[in-house]
Amino acid sequence: MNAPFFKFGLFGDDVSLIAAFVIGIGFGFFLERAGFGSAKKLCAQFYFTDLAVFKVMFTAIITAMVGLFWLSWLGFVDLSLVYVTPTYIVPQVVGGLILGVGFVVGGYCPGTSCVAAATGKLDAFVYLGGIIVGIFVFGELFPILSAFYESTPMGVVTIPQYFGISYGLVVFLVVLMAIGGFAGGAWVEKKFASTVKES
Amino acid sequence: MSSAEKTLTLDDAAVHKKAHVAREAQPYWNPYVAGLGLGLVLLSSFVIMGRGLGASGAFSSLVAATVNTVAPSHAASNTFYAEYIGDGTRNPLKDWLVFEVLGAIAGGFISGLLAGRVKKTVEKGPRISVGKRFAFAFSGGIIMGFGAKLARGCTSGQALTGGALLGLGSWAFMLAVFGGAYAVAYFVRRQWT
Amino acid sequence: MKLSIGNWTLNRKLALLIGGLGFLAIFAGSPYKGFTSKVDSQELAAIVQKEVDHVSPEELAGWIISGKADYRLVDLRKEAVFAEYHIPTAENILLPSISEGGLSRGEKVILYSDGGIHSAQAWFLLKANGYKGVYILRGGLEEWKDKVLFPRLAENAPPAEVAAFEKVKLVSTFFGGSPQVGGAAALTAPTMALPKLDAPAGGPVKAGTGKKKKEGC
Repeated sequence: MNAPFFKFGLFGDDVSLIAAFVIGIGFGFFLERAGFGSAKKLCAQFYFTDLAVFKVMFTAIITAMVGLFWLSWLGFVDLSLVYVTPTYIVPQVVGGLILGVGFVVGGYCPGTSCVAAATGKLDAFVYLGGIIVGIFVFGELFPILSAFYESTPMGVVTIPQYFGISYGLVVFLVVLMAIGGFAGGAWVEKKFASTVKES
Repeated sequence: MSSAEKTLTLDDAAVHKKAHVAREAQPYWNPYVAGLGLGLVLLSSFVIMGRGLGASGAFSSLVAATVNTVAPSHAASNTFYAEYIGDGTRNPLKDWLVFEVLGAIAGGFISGLLAGRVKKTVEKGPRISVGKRFAFAFSGGIIMGFGAKLARGCTSGQALTGGALLGLGSWAFMLAVFGGAYAVAYFVRRQWT
Repeated sequence: MKLSIGNWTLNRKLALLIGGLGFLAIFAGSPYKGFTSKVDSQELAAIVQKEVDHVSPEELAGWIISGKADYRLVDLRKEAVFAEYHIPTAENILLPSISEGGLSRGEKVILYSDGGIHSAQAWFLLKANGYKGVYILRGGLEEWKDKVLFPRLAENAPPAEVAAFEKVKLVSTFFGGSPQVGGAAALTAPTMALPKLDAPAGGPVKAGTGKKKKEGC
């Protein structure tokens, strides 16, 4: 077992920044390939006409999840060394709702806005400016917000741990849900495409 | 004679058309294939670094670094900025996420260039003006920035990464994002249709 | 109806692949393989033989005084005795939590306990788990007391030793100890009171905050 390579000391901080850049290239590349450099395509998800956001996101999630499961099971990766964001349930849900609103009003999310800006979309530049202002506002208001921000901590908790189900079973259920969603998505797209044609 | 001339012009047109098509935007990839690629990038990040992707954190570092340059004492006294500035031994912009986002910009550009999708445009529907679209984009960005910080991540970090790692908070976050977006989408539909 | 997979679309094939892998996951058991590892006994034995895994108390004292901060000093004893006295700049991590102690496999770690047994055991555990720069404080806290805090100069020591002892005295006073000259030293040393920890504390600054890397998003 010698992965995650960085956590086993195979390379230092400076090389990790190079790794960050290279991984980032892959990230941005596939986002743009999927068409996520376009706010129109991204927002079509929320009008049911093009569910690419759901398809790409969940395909990526199940690919990484299943890959990580098997690599860990094989003893190649030490799963306990992979960083999982601790759960602060209420601020995360409230933040998620706010983020969803920001997504659909602005048309992008932080990652996709970078890709969109890279391909010349002026509204993405404006959006990025907005993100910076939003973070600044949060930072300035932080003394008032910090109590809420730190509320309901649950530590690092995964779905298998919380519900007491085996990791493997959760992996299967998520894959099943995703594939079911993809199949259902095809039907939904067809239905809403026809209504759009009418209007 | 005339028929030979005609075939010549038709051939010319065909050649001209081929060159023109290459410069037009290519269709997007099959979303499942793109998702597979994205998932493999995420997996490689787990294996190489023991962490996943992210985006909003890079902007937090940027904001914190700027505040620190303009008003260092204010930045130091604010716990939120101080976290990103660290103990002063290291430039806050020398951060993993900052480099990853720079890579994402490069990767997006490369993909766009190869597919003929790099063009100065404004993404918007037919019934809205550029100015109004910018207003939506800016306010949406502000809301998004605020929400991302409150939730400790954005769709790349919390939803994608946390989702793949089966984090409880991350999945709750994901559902909340879709919920919030669907709830408000109807009211801003004029941006696109 | 024949299941001719060959005719399936790419999407269907991908779905089958990932669905199959997901299904098998139910029967696989836990992906957390825990703190298990392969031990290269020969390599470890060679290191022990060469004694390159030791750090002397004098060396460590020198590093602390000069403010060298490129290592983690780990005290493996119980919290109560740690609170009473510990070598400045040390962190208290007990054996069972050594793998969660926030120690990274690439950094230099110096282990000490009262003597040498627990530190040797912890050394083995860490080395077997891929930690590269693990060292033992030779003689543990006992030798630290003996050589650094309460160093002794024999009554009729040669002038070269007396001169060298001046430096040792400075080191000892730096850590709040008390150097002694002559006398039935071996009997008095263990009864000397250990210095209070206010001088010099060495500071907890290095221990936690500087090292914490943000890994969120």
